[in-house]
Amino acid sequence: MSPDGGLSIVGTVLAVAVGCAAASLWLLLPRGESGLRERAARRFGMLLGAVALGLFVATGHRLGGVGEEATFLVVSLVAVIGAAATIVTRSPVYSAIWFALALAGVAGVLLVLGAQFLGVATIVVYAGAILVMFLFVLMLAQPTGMASYDRVSNEPLLSAVAGAVLLGLLTLFIGRLSAGPPSCCAVPTKAAALAGANRPTDESDEADAASEPAAADTPNTPALAGTPSAAAGSSPTTHRPSPPDMLARDHVARLGGELFGRHLLAVEAAGVLLLVALIGSIAIVSRTPPEERLEARPRRASA
Amino acid sequence: MTPAPLVLDGLVVGAMLFALGLVGILARRNLIVMFLSAELMLQGVSVSLVSWSRHHGDWGGQMLVIFVLTVAACEAAVALVFVLQAFARTGRLDSAAWQSLRESNLPRVVDHELPASDAEALQFPRLTPAGVQPEIDEDEALEREHV
Amino acid sequence: MVDLDPKTLLVLVPALPLAGAILTVALGRLLGPRAHWPAVLSIAAAAVAAVTLLVGLGREVASSADHDHAASPVELTPVTLWQWASIPDAYQPAAATGLDLGDDLTAKAEGLPAAIPFTIGIDLRLDPLTAVMLAVITCVGLLVAIYSIGYMHDDPGYPRFFALVAAFVFSMAMLVAASNFLLVYVFWEAVGACSYLLIGFWFRKPSASAAAKKAFLVNRVGDFGLAVAVFLLWMTYGTLNFHDTLLADGSPLPGILGMERLADPSGYVAGGVGTAICLLLLLAACGKSAQLPLHVWLPDAMEGPTPASALIHAATMVTAGVYLVARCAPLYVACPAALTVVSIVGATTALVAALIGTVQNDLKRVLAYSTISQLGYMFASLGTGTLLGFTAAIFHLVTHAFFKALLFLGAGSVMHAMGGVIDMRRFGGLRRVMPITAATFLVGSLALAGIAPFAGFFSKDEILASLHARGWPDAHTEHHDADPHEGHAGLDLPAAAAFQAVSFRSESDGSAGGADESASTFRTLYWMSLFTAFLTAFYTFRAVFMTFTGPTRVPDEAGHHAHESPPVMTWPLIVLAVAATVSGWWLFSTHALADFLAATPSLTAPAVAATATPHAFHLDLALQGTFAAVAGIVLAAAGHFGRRSDGPQPERYLGPFETLFAHRFFIDEIYTALIVRPLEFVAMLSAWFDRSVVDGLVDFVARIPWGIGAVVRRLQSGLVQRYAVAGALGTLLIVLMLAWRLRG
Repeated sequence: MSPDGGLSIVGTVLAVAVGCAAASLWLLLPRGESGLRERAARRFGMLLGAVALGLFVATGHRLGGVGEEATFLVVSLVAVIGAAATIVTRSPVYSAIWFALALAGVAGVLLVLGAQFLGVATIVVYAGAILVMFLFVLMLAQPTGMASYDRVSNEPLLSAVAGAVLLGLLTLFIGRLSAGPPSCCAVPTKAAALAGANRPTDESDEADAASEPAAADTPNTPALAGTPSAAAGSSPTTHRPSPPDMLARDHVARLGGELFGRHLLAVEAAGVLLLVALIGSIAIVSRTPPEERLEARPRRASA
Repeated sequence: MTPAPLVLDGLVVGAMLFALGLVGILARRNLIVMFLSAELMLQGVSVSLVSWSRHHGDWGGQMLVIFVLTVAACEAAVALVFVLQAFARTGRLDSAAWQSLRESNLPRVVDHELPASDAEALQFPRLTPAGVQPEIDEDEALEREHV
Repeated sequence: MVDLDPKTLLVLVPALPLAGAILTVALGRLLGPRAHWPAVLSIAAAAVAAVTLLVGLGREVASSADHDHAASPVELTPVTLWQWASIPDAYQPAAATGLDLGDDLTAKAEGLPAAIPFTIGIDLRLDPLTAVMLAVITCVGLLVAIYSIGYMHDDPGYPRFFALVAAFVFSMAMLVAASNFLLVYVFWEAVGACSYLLIGFWFRKPSASAAAKKAFLVNRVGDFGLAVAVFLLWMTYGTLNFHDTLLADGSPLPGILGMERLADPSGYVAGGVGTAICLLLLLAACGKSAQLPLHVWLPDAMEGPTPASALIHAATMVTAGVYLVARCAPLYVACPAALTVVSIVGATTALVAALIGTVQNDLKRVLAYSTISQLGYMFASLGTGTLLGFTAAIFHLVTHAFFKALLFLGAGSVMHAMGGVIDMRRFGGLRRVMPITAATFLVGSLALAGIAPFAGFFSKDEILASLHARGWPDAHTEHHDADPHEGHAGLDLPAAAAFQAVSFRSESDGSAGGADESASTFRTLYWMSLFTAFLTAFYTFRAVFMTFTGPTRVPDEAGHHAHESPPVMTWPLIVLAVAATVSGWWLFSTHALADFLAATPSLTAPAVAATATPHAFHLDLALQGTFAAVAGIVLAAAGHFGRRSDGPQPERYLGPFETLFAHRFFIDEIYTALIVRPLEFVAMLSAWFDRSVVDGLVDFVARIPWGIGAVVRRLQSGLVQRYAVAGALGTLLIVLMLAWRLRG
């Protein structure tokens, strides 16, 4: 997408971003400090984190022009900041709440990407069920005051470097994806293979698609840019089907059809898995360690 | 075929979430926070999967995310039970409380002296475990840091 | 049986005992108390085969001797069982390689092909010498095996004993039948191994295992000599075969003892190399036949079971050295200096062993020293280098095999009855307890002492005659001339001429000095041998008187056991006694053995055959020998029946010499001081070096991973999260490397 010169600039920016991210994470992670030092480190870490985020956004801008999609930018920023706060907050309770915020961001990202059902499901399942469970556990197993293990980290520097380098690598590869068709991605789209199967259901959409030619630039670059609403009706005028299908109005219905059609067996298996997890948790939680049981009985008898 | 910008951005966001989750799970010692970090990594993967799903125009990615949600729920249920059990044994949510795998002649790793924290201890609502109040074991209570 | 081809019989003689040994090993536990059957039956069959061969070959010799009076060589063409080793173009004669091996070798190598393959076949060969040896080995072996049925009963190692005896008979038969020096070497070692195993048969007894080790180690010295001799032989002659062979290209390769080489008196290497070969072979013979200075193992070898002592350490294996020298007679005749050494070694050994024997109180040790002494006689006789000397040595070998086996088995019978006690001072007057043993032992003693008409008298007389003939050649010539009756089958060549031929050869070689010097040497040796005969009679009858005469005394260990041995033990004694009585007289009067042996190819070499003398009974020599023997017996009797009743006490006559003899001339002590102690010191040094330096290096190497581990183990903190960090960083590293490679 960008020429070689652009790529080298992008690479430099990316390297600075990775460095800033690592430093910021290291500063933000609890390292057993206290008082002014800790506060100063956190402030500086936040600053660096903001810089790193900005740099990543900038590279993203250069790479894909995300800045043009304000919604996406906002939700993704919420998600990333929430995630970063989750892992750097000392108190596990605040961590959980920051995690909820990150979840909201992720749900937004999913919505922007056209997965309405998943966005909602994430909120419902995670924020509504899992996170609440976490909070319950925290309330059950909460030490009084600030625990020492919340104030120190395990190998903060190495961990921060590991995370930042991973992020840099992934960003680099994603940038390569945009730079040109690398060999690793030259797989034929599954959509093409499914074209015949989807054909009959596409009939109704094709009329709408014809009325909005803006999205259909070329047959070979499907219009992925745009909000769901914008892309809802965008479907190729050619025989190539697909991505737009997923953004159709009956998106959830199609998802359900797919889920309970092709993946019925997996759904059943997932159900069994849930049941097993349920029974297993109950079994484990109701079991006291044998030595405790042995010790507990005579003591209780004496008392 | 070059992926569209939005997909790329989705991938970047997914990568960020995954990397942050990784840092959390590697660095934080609180078991609950570690699990939150694990969930963050799952979120990152989910975002990536949805991006690719959109790119390929295939439902497979979204399907996978649904199952990721399922598995995450199961995992949370079972893992939190383990966390509770661990807390019941040590009175801590510390991953460093278990060091039995170390070489037999090495000393136990303990946190070096921490400066006193000036942050006020926050009080959150607590739940008492249901059932008969267990006898308090003095030895065990001594081992515990804060209970 | 009679239809069997002689070659088949020749193969059967060693093969049957081998099968018997294998069967005994395989079925030993199954057969239990009947474990002797395979061994005894197979040795019996082998004995029948050997005697058949002997008789058949004897007829052939007799028929060939009828035509012309000259001893024509009689030999069976070798039987090649299979080819053991074959290396093409192994031998490059000195002329081809340009190696300077001395003039002698170069001269010999001239007639050889450019390159000779090194082929070792499993070749068996039969000639009169081998036939006699085979018959003696199998017959004595059979009698000993039968005797052992009674002697070894209830021994926990019963099957093992018979397996070893059969294996020994196999090895010994192969040794004398082999037609190749390498095979001889192999079975030389094999009989040594059997001897080792039988000496250490009761290996739980420390003295027995020590004696076995001693025998083995002392024999190694001799074996070393044989090995070097074999190397030298190959370098010199280009082959190790006794017989002539045809090479692949059809050119003949003369064997070391083949007809072609035997026909030519100059076919053998003389000078330095030849003498070296002969002396090395003598070293080997000294080891196996317990001659000075390697005799120390034989008395200790009496720790083994008595039948094994009778078979191996008296009758057969110890004669392997005599056989080897007799077999290599042409090689020795080419080197008169070596021959003289053989005689000196033999006579000295005979005298020294006899002196030691006079003060021994252990019955088996007396017999052991007597064995060494008699073997010394044989070597002295071999060393004369005359046909008479060689045949006399083999003659004495045969008669000695009978009477010494008889004496040993008699001693075993006594030991059996006395509950394992063998000290002659602790029993006496046993003739009333065990009459058969006493009678047969007396016969054996008379034969050993050399009293007419027992076997030892005739064979010893021949040996003395052969020595006398070298010491006083002129007297012998006159004697021969005065002798009215001509020899039966001797050469017409006068003896004087024969000795002149020998003298000529020795002068021409310039190594042995003049004939006079050699004659004076042999005169000394003759007197030494005569004195040894006197000593032999003395110590033998000292033992007889101490054991069988006087008031009956039985040690406590015997208990109710003091009785005559069972028939299975006495019958072999009787058979051997008969053999010891008649064999000498019969073989001497008919000259059957001498004539038969004279047909041995290796003894028909011109140099040897030229020394043949007509058979004659030398009355003066016989009188001298008999006088010496009677004097010895009388002295023993005087000592025993004198004032004191506890046997002849040599210290009364010997004074300070008694200490010398009783300590066996301090030879063991000298060996200890000169060889054992320095070796122990070297071993101590080596052990120190091994423990501190070598082990230290090894320990140091072992400490390197230990040290690394001590550092690295600190990483094993047991904290799961640290492991996770390491895992993540490692994974990232790999991904980075992959990305770096994909970059291009």
